[in-house]
Amino acid sequence: MYTELHARSAFSFLEGGALPEELASVCVERGMAAMALLDRDGVYGAPRFYLAAQKLSLRAHIGAEVTAAGGWRFPLLVETRAGYQNLCRLITRMKLRARKGEGHVSDEEVAEKAAGLICLTGGREGPLAYALSRGGIESGTVCVRQLCEIFGPTNVYVELQRHLDRAEEARNHAALEIARKLRLPVVATNGVSYALPEQREVLDVFTCIRNHRTLEAAGRLLARNSERYLKSPDEMAHLFSDIPEAIANTQLVSSRLQFNLSDLGYEFPKYPVPDGKSQMHFLRERTREGMVKRYGAGSEKARAQIEKELALIEKLELAGYFLIVWDIIRFCCEHNILVQGRGSAANSAVCYALGITAVDPVGMDLLFERFLSEERGEWPDIDLDLPSGDQRESAIQYVYERYGKLGAAMTANVITYRGRSAAREIGKAFSFDAETLGRLTSLVSAWEYKDENDTLTRHFQDAGLDLQHPQIRKFLELCVKFQDLPRHLGQHSGGMVVCQGQLDSVVPLEPATMPGRVVVQWDKEDCADMGIVKVDLLGLGMMAVLEDSLKIIRDDYGEEVDLGRLPMDDRVVYETLQKADTVGMFQIESRAQMSCLPRLQPKRFYDIVVQVAIIRPGPIVGKMVNPYLKRRQGREPATCLHPSLEPVLERTLGVPLFQEQLLRMAMIVAGFTGGQAEELRRAMGFKRSEKRMKDIEQKLRSGMEKNGITGEVQETIVQSITSFALYGFPESHAASFALLAYSSAYLKCHYLAAFTAAMLNNQPMGFYQPATLVKDAQRHGLRIKPIDVTCSEWLCKLEKENESFSVRLGLRYVKGLRADVGAEIVRERNLHPFVSIDDLKLRVPAIRKTELATLAEIGALNFISEARGSHRRDALWQIERAARNAGPLLERCEEAEGSVSGENEATDGATNAAVNSPLLPMTADERLVADFRGTGMTVGPHPMRYHRARMKRQGVVTASELNNLPDGTHVRFAGGVIARQRPGTAHGFVFLSLEDETGIANAIITPRLFEEYHVVIVHQQFLLIEGRLQNQDNVVSVKVENVQGLAVTQAETTSHDFH
Amino acid sequence: MSFASIHVPNFMVQAVLRGETQLRHRAIALVEGAPPLVRVVAATEAALRAEIQLGMAKLQAQLCGVEIRQRSRTQEKAAHAALLDLGWSISPRIEDHAPETIIVDVAGLASLFGSHENIAHEIVQRAAGLGLLVHLAIAANLETAVQAARGFPGITLIPAGEEEKCLSSLPVRALSPSVEALETLDRWGIRTCKELAALPVLELSERLGQEGVRLHELARGASTRSIVLAEPCELMEEEMELEDSVEDLEPLSFLLGRLLDQICARLAARSLAAAAIRLKFELGDLFEKDFQVLAENVPANFANGKDARKIYKKVLQLPVPMRDSKMLLRLLRLQLQADPPPGDIVKITLAADPARPRSTQGGLFVPGSPNPEKLELTVARLAKLVGNANIGSPELVDTNRPGEFRMTRFVPETNEPGFRRRNRVARKKAAAGATASGANSEGALRKPMTGCRIFRPSVPAAVELREGCPAKVFFRGLCGRVVAASGPWRTSGDWWRENSWHQDEWDLEIEFYIANAGAGGSAGLYCVYYDSDCRGWFVRGVYD
Repeated sequence: MYTELHARSAFSFLEGGALPEELASVCVERGMAAMALLDRDGVYGAPRFYLAAQKLSLRAHIGAEVTAAGGWRFPLLVETRAGYQNLCRLITRMKLRARKGEGHVSDEEVAEKAAGLICLTGGREGPLAYALSRGGIESGTVCVRQLCEIFGPTNVYVELQRHLDRAEEARNHAALEIARKLRLPVVATNGVSYALPEQREVLDVFTCIRNHRTLEAAGRLLARNSERYLKSPDEMAHLFSDIPEAIANTQLVSSRLQFNLSDLGYEFPKYPVPDGKSQMHFLRERTREGMVKRYGAGSEKARAQIEKELALIEKLELAGYFLIVWDIIRFCCEHNILVQGRGSAANSAVCYALGITAVDPVGMDLLFERFLSEERGEWPDIDLDLPSGDQRESAIQYVYERYGKLGAAMTANVITYRGRSAAREIGKAFSFDAETLGRLTSLVSAWEYKDENDTLTRHFQDAGLDLQHPQIRKFLELCVKFQDLPRHLGQHSGGMVVCQGQLDSVVPLEPATMPGRVVVQWDKEDCADMGIVKVDLLGLGMMAVLEDSLKIIRDDYGEEVDLGRLPMDDRVVYETLQKADTVGMFQIESRAQMSCLPRLQPKRFYDIVVQVAIIRPGPIVGKMVNPYLKRRQGREPATCLHPSLEPVLERTLGVPLFQEQLLRMAMIVAGFTGGQAEELRRAMGFKRSEKRMKDIEQKLRSGMEKNGITGEVQETIVQSITSFALYGFPESHAASFALLAYSSAYLKCHYLAAFTAAMLNNQPMGFYQPATLVKDAQRHGLRIKPIDVTCSEWLCKLEKENESFSVRLGLRYVKGLRADVGAEIVRERNLHPFVSIDDLKLRVPAIRKTELATLAEIGALNFISEARGSHRRDALWQIERAARNAGPLLERCEEAEGSVSGENEATDGATNAAVNSPLLPMTADERLVADFRGTGMTVGPHPMRYHRARMKRQGVVTASELNNLPDGTHVRFAGGVIARQRPGTAHGFVFLSLEDETGIANAIITPRLFEEYHVVIVHQQFLLIEGRLQNQDNVVSVKVENVQGLAVTQAETTSHDFH
Repeated sequence: MSFASIHVPNFMVQAVLRGETQLRHRAIALVEGAPPLVRVVAATEAALRAEIQLGMAKLQAQLCGVEIRQRSRTQEKAAHAALLDLGWSISPRIEDHAPETIIVDVAGLASLFGSHENIAHEIVQRAAGLGLLVHLAIAANLETAVQAARGFPGITLIPAGEEEKCLSSLPVRALSPSVEALETLDRWGIRTCKELAALPVLELSERLGQEGVRLHELARGASTRSIVLAEPCELMEEEMELEDSVEDLEPLSFLLGRLLDQICARLAARSLAAAAIRLKFELGDLFEKDFQVLAENVPANFANGKDARKIYKKVLQLPVPMRDSKMLLRLLRLQLQADPPPGDIVKITLAADPARPRSTQGGLFVPGSPNPEKLELTVARLAKLVGNANIGSPELVDTNRPGEFRMTRFVPETNEPGFRRRNRVARKKAAAGATASGANSEGALRKPMTGCRIFRPSVPAAVELREGCPAKVFFRGLCGRVVAASGPWRTSGDWWRENSWHQDEWDLEIEFYIANAGAGGSAGLYCVYYDSDCRGWFVRGVYD
């Protein structure tokens, strides 16, 4: 019986053509009982291979090919846990000292970490082949002797591979001779690089990508044949029929490899507790302190809940985990960093008491088991939201400092090939020109909804590629094969793993591209699957906005706002939400949210929780939205599925909206424990195993029968639970988000200037482009002032005039202006004001002509010589001379003049600037074009404003007028497209948000119309639409019947598309 | 002074349609590129109206329902030559300004053609005779004439002193400014020549430098430059029409010798030499049997034409530029002996590609190498014996495909430094390629190399298998028993092409016997392979 002991997966990054799961399943199909995965310089694919193998009852051996200093690779198989730890440490050492993707180990390092590892002599890239090529059989013998010294003679196997290649067979002869001479066992492998023969094509293209060659130019770099596929034991036995012991030895080696990934030896770090107390004792103390702060001393319900949770935490020995998260929170609080836990952690009263979350689970009656249960045997998952940017980075660096470089790391993010990236890279290998590739990749759609025509084949046709051509057909075929294959390893945005002792013995660590960051070789799902605790430190743009807003309010308004103590019943906030006037507000600003708000009419905080949760695939697909809204509006009775479920569904009017409700329903109707209910959710949610789903459904049904719930009622409840489980949204998560949504709404309603400045300073984020945010703020009466080098800072700031605030745009919005140049401008100006453009150029010598030109074009230089009535073209005229470098001779003259004139310099500059330009001022449209080109927005009138008279003559109404027209009116509307959506749940309908000078209007495009006017709808920035007005419960939209492009301006306005 | 600028709008299209001017109003798009990536590069007005866009793929263009034609650089060259001929037919003083534009000095032509208007009409008429539709402008200022011809359709006559006024409506872009200058002018809102001309020149020069001044002058029609006279006849060409057709090589050699003498004399007068000699024979009527011979010598673009049967072409590429008419004649004779024209010759065209003559001197202490001219003669003699395709230097192709090589022109190493460097680079590249493919790394194990004599083409064989292994081999009338077999050695590749391959090679020790006479024949070690694509066995070669 044969076991494959040397296989690479696609996680060897461009050196393997099949995913680990694919290798595992083909291995089982071919009748093998075990297989070893040896990826290059890592165990990247090991968890996926292990999990897949476990499902298929295949023994998954782990190992790696480790690059040596000479360029060859040691094929190492892990025999014991110590061996695995050695391998991880060896790879970590190699990776951490080299640049990303490079590095090698020395023989001494290998010798130091050789225990528990078995070494094969390798195939073409192994140490033996390398030695044979250098010095023939003598050199080969020396090499194998050295391997025996390093690993011990019992741990070295002479490897034989047969890919029907003469040179390889010559090596095999030499290897056999060496094995006989040194009395070493031989072992056969197939040096597998892909699962199936046809995947050789993938590998060939990978080779081209790796070597930056085209297929035509790659020559002998490409594979000689397609023999590196996973061969069956029979095929291998046939190949090695003359050396049967090589096959038999694979079994022996396999039986020696006792290690598997369930035996990682991972331990969560212990929190250092003062005064010799236990961690649990310390946690109890901190929780009680927090409980008093949060609930006061008298809340019995809270006390009971906390005690229950603490007991479970103690039982599961999770005190250390909670303390470590608490420690991060404490660090953030001490450093004035806004932080909020979310996700299922918000179900925990302990988390609330420790300050990890801001939602009161006792008050909201949230289900603790959704967060933590005894049955699950998994680590709890706590996600912390932090302001994106430097503050999140300082929290991450704190964790690194606290647990050491080898004790904490970020989780990886495996970057895989998608439609565009695959087409681009394969196209390069096929020698396609850049223009064709650009055309092709731009056509690969990013819509969420894919209709039946939205295929790669269609994109190829649209790009003008002839699918009848065999090369193009092959190209298309490969694009499909490339989907989901890993390309390289990135860094997860916030997932951190920590370990007691050495994390590098659990999984190899690598340097990330970002300085100061270390990343593990597994992504967050792999880490979770391997039982490694992860804390997500996620950057949330809105957190940064809130924090910046608070700072601006403190500095400019002189007021202190505490987000934890906001009045939760603010009338203005709820009125604003009811009107769906929510541009810029967290989670409730999208078109879909806006179209729901007027129907939901939020009146209290819990309504916002519902609002956040209801516009999700779960409730939409589960058809819960309309029943809920109808019940809310009193148009249908709030009945319940079963009387026993009333307490659970009462607050959502009998309609299940949250995951917690689903769990409670199972607990009530079928007598499930909290843990069983969570198990049910997971089984339904991930569709991992049909058998598991069926088992749990059966349990549910029998539990219901025991409680006397049978027949149609039982069927309805089961249907409701199973269909909803797939997409449900946790109430605790919604509550955390709702808090942020309320905070953002409160700040926008009461501190519009501060909120707008903070929003603009944290772009890109949210649903709308800065141009839309500016127009929305202007419509709310806020004055937004243009960029001006005489007073703008790098960031947007507030200016106070007549007791009211306006926002001055910052230099960060000048396209192409480098941050250091911007800072230099501000610094010099603060020393003393610029008197002319020449003066600016002289004092900020690093500024480039293109930067000056953009500043001039957007009018940011107008005010340097304001007294002379300067306009943008005056500045453009001046900068051309100022930016022109004087020759070396004149430069010296200027320097000499400068040093002599000293004080007079400014005056000279002013004199130069006094020359009036012969250029005419820009027209309004030219200014508009320049504004959008230079800043991506305008603070002047909306482009549609200039065409209003013409539009009126054509019977076009404004966005504000639409709101007052009755349902069913035939209307014409024109505006700039600010968002295009084709949601996966909308059956191909396209939703457009169009903006004019009075507001935003929504348009609905049917799939048929979209097909017909595809190019106009996708590519035109201004549209004139005609159709029926739909006004239901103050939710206004136009069902489009006709659409045409509109020539409004040459300005390159942008929209937010393809959600 | 007066200058006429003649401009051919949409030059690429006009070049292709020169012989079929009636198609000008049809929707036709010109495409260029290697399949499958063929793009539209030019189109007629009608095609542009039919939503053809430059740069679109051929497939998309076909969907627009327009006629597709291939861009032809040869026809463009011919159109350009015709344009020059047009100029020279008017005046000896012409400037070859661009492929689609020439400038003609028309001063003093009044006595021949009359007024400027008459001259203009005469030129337009003659251009039409050549199949070209031109825009023409006459002005006292040369650059003004160029800009006006490019910017305005039809005939534009610009009286002296009205250049600025006339150009005022032209877009600045027509002055061909640099990209940077055009961007700056655009930012300034300067879009026409009038607006540009209105700017103060001194301040403009402070901002745009000399280019600003030049553009300003152009916009005002005030630029001053002299005409750059075109040198007639870049290609040295001589033609001879024969009253009596010639068939034999001897009389032909005599005629060729005369032509070569003339060409070499012209080359010598201009201190040039010939890098290649292009020979074209126009033939009389042919017999059917000769078609095949012709097909091998006629370039593709003639192959389908009616005249294809009457043209015979030969190009003599020279290793170094030379102008020794006797040597050239010997080389030509050898070529023609190896590959004679298949019929009576009625017209001879002989052209030389002019080049600078070789001027290096051999080093005193450098070993002597054969005289390149003599060597070329030897190579030509060999080519006559073995055929052109079978002589040169074999070069291995970087591929796993067994036995793949190509013949390259035999060029010996010379003492010229540039050449030596090129050769060194080529050797380095070859070495790098071998290392990259791992060929070197296998070298140490393959020291006792056995020579293999490859049969080209491979010899078809029949093979009897036993348990998947060749047992008997039959080829070239021989029967052999396989004594020992090693293999299969499998190679496959070029899967992205139509001519992919998949072969299983065997190294076989074969003991031959005569059929029906039992054993006792000779033995040999052969390389035999099975080609999966043509499902057949072949003998690749024999090992020494």
